[in-house]
Amino acid sequence: MKLNSLAFRLFATAALWTVVVLPIAGLIIFSLIRNHILNGFDGQLKTYVWVVQAESLGDGATPARPTNIGEPLFGVTNSGWYWQVKPLGKGVGATLVSDSLATSTLSSPYEHSAVRDGGGFRWLDIRGPLNQPLRIVERVGRLGGDDDGPLYSFIVAGPLDWPGTTISNFGLVLAVSLAVAGLGLLAATYLQVRFGLAPLRKVEQGLGDVRSGKAEQLESELPAEIEPLQIELNQLIAANQEIIERARTQVGNLAHALKTPLAVIVNEAEARETTFSRKVTEQAELMRNQVTLYLDRARMVARVGTIGRVTDVRPVAEALQRTLERIHRAKGVDITLVCPENVRFQGEQQDLEEMIGNLLDNASKWCEHRVRLKISVAQAALPSTSHVLRLEVDDDGPGLSKSERSKIGRRGVRLDETKPGSGLGLSIVGDLVSSYRGTFTLEVSDLGGLRAIVELPATQHRADEKQA
Amino acid sequence: MRVLVVEDDTDLNRQLVSALSDAGYAVDTAFDGEEGYHLGDTEPYDIVVLDIGLPKMDGISVLEEWRRADRNMPVIMLTARDRWSDKVAGMDAGADDYVAKPFHMEELLARMRAHVRRAAGHAKSEIECGPVRLDTKSARVTCDGRIIKLTSHEYRLLAYLMHHNGRIVSRTELVEHLYDQDFDRDSNTIEVFVGRLRKKIPPELIKTIRGLGYRLGAEADEA
Repeated sequence: MKLNSLAFRLFATAALWTVVVLPIAGLIIFSLIRNHILNGFDGQLKTYVWVVQAESLGDGATPARPTNIGEPLFGVTNSGWYWQVKPLGKGVGATLVSDSLATSTLSSPYEHSAVRDGGGFRWLDIRGPLNQPLRIVERVGRLGGDDDGPLYSFIVAGPLDWPGTTISNFGLVLAVSLAVAGLGLLAATYLQVRFGLAPLRKVEQGLGDVRSGKAEQLESELPAEIEPLQIELNQLIAANQEIIERARTQVGNLAHALKTPLAVIVNEAEARETTFSRKVTEQAELMRNQVTLYLDRARMVARVGTIGRVTDVRPVAEALQRTLERIHRAKGVDITLVCPENVRFQGEQQDLEEMIGNLLDNASKWCEHRVRLKISVAQAALPSTSHVLRLEVDDDGPGLSKSERSKIGRRGVRLDETKPGSGLGLSIVGDLVSSYRGTFTLEVSDLGGLRAIVELPATQHRADEKQA
Repeated sequence: MRVLVVEDDTDLNRQLVSALSDAGYAVDTAFDGEEGYHLGDTEPYDIVVLDIGLPKMDGISVLEEWRRADRNMPVIMLTARDRWSDKVAGMDAGADDYVAKPFHMEELLARMRAHVRRAAGHAKSEIECGPVRLDTKSARVTCDGRIIKLTSHEYRLLAYLMHHNGRIVSRTELVEHLYDQDFDRDSNTIEVFVGRLRKKIPPELIKTIRGLGYRLGAEADEA
């Protein structure tokens, strides 16, 4: 998942919400439950202290020992559950304690000046006989209905460990539950984002297919929200291709409209041997080169921005091999083609034809008899393209020196004026290769002549090579 | 040699007719595809110069129809559309060569000479028959090294016989290949020119084969 993506934004927002909200909710729930448990514990202590006070009533003169409080742990030594009835001031009788306290006694919150709450209870958290934490509740009152009788302290103590353990157990269960819920939510959010954005990935994949030539337009089954986007994109692709075709037709028509009158001018001038006619011939030749230059550029400009064009290389190479052998058959040129099956060039067929055609034509003009066109696909050095299409055209002609090779490719440069041609062929190749961000180099061939090497972006290939 | 020029541009058509006539060809001309197809389908041309962009019927279709009908004369395409796809289409349709516009007339003439020669089975630009030698590049005829001066009609007749030496050539064939379609075809004219030629080269070189026609040089092997 890329940082700058819709999926990341949706996922990150949901994850942030989950991470912030779940702990807050957990704290609130924990706090409510903790208060509920502590209030329940306090309520239980209050009930017991009421019972102890009622059971101590006895004859009304001296307190009786409570016997039926309803909690067996008051009878277990050091259990943490204790009661105590203690006379205050001029109180009559001895201090009574539960069996669980044995010989110990409990401090009185009254004597510790603890403040009485709205229900008449005083509370104190202390340490018990075995140093265990205890919570004490105390009522101060008289026996029976005697308003002038001595005051007594009625105390019940319970172990603070009991609600503490319950609270910490609950906290642990709550934390684990919320963590699992959080992880589940994150997973669900991730799946939701993937599922929800899947149609957009289909569109992206479809555009990739169109660009690489596997499909001519987007054809996915898409949800209603982005179906219009697909329709608009398809219309854009169709309009783009229509514009290119129209531009190309216009360029072809322009070529025809200009070149036929130029032919008439050249022939008319060549029929006369005057200074004027020679100047006309010379200027017409310049015009011809300019027309070719700008028509080539117009074709290239028309192509810029086209998408989805892929060309099978082998049929193009075979057609040009056949054509060039026929054109140069008087010379007996033998063109050998080495080309794997299913090699595809990521670009216009016309451009590939111009590149291979001009290279083969140049080699055929200069060779003794042998020309070789070798096409291969190699792993690209650049990460932007996965493969490069490599064209090697060799001939057994005289070849070129290093300095001559550096001049070749400049528009209109001809090293031998006796050979027919305009000097445009290799410069057209150079221009086309540049427009595809490829490379064009000249070397010495193992056949003895020149080797022209062109490297271009390719889309896919299969390794089985066949000799034509 | 008889040539058909199919070109819709009137100026270029006129220039081609003029240059080819000057070069010794008998020239027929057509200005659209249909007319061109009809002429090429019915007349025996030694070579055709065919424009691709023609009205009524394009050059590629004309050529395909001719080849389908086994019309095998050499055809040179003239095209302003000089993309390789156009050249491949033309050559696949059965063209023997292409010349891109604008072109130099000399280049077209050189290619035509080469194709006519090759169609008659001669690899070199010079054709020999006994002491007579024809240089197709310069249109010069020599006999034992001496330059023979020939009129235009005499040159055409000798050139045709030299291209087809060793083979019997009928008077009708000669008329068909030496004159354009507008010429008044009287085979007696041929006899007059043969008579003149026999005075300029060794007379026994052109044999009259009774009832069949003429043969230049010895009989060619059937093989």
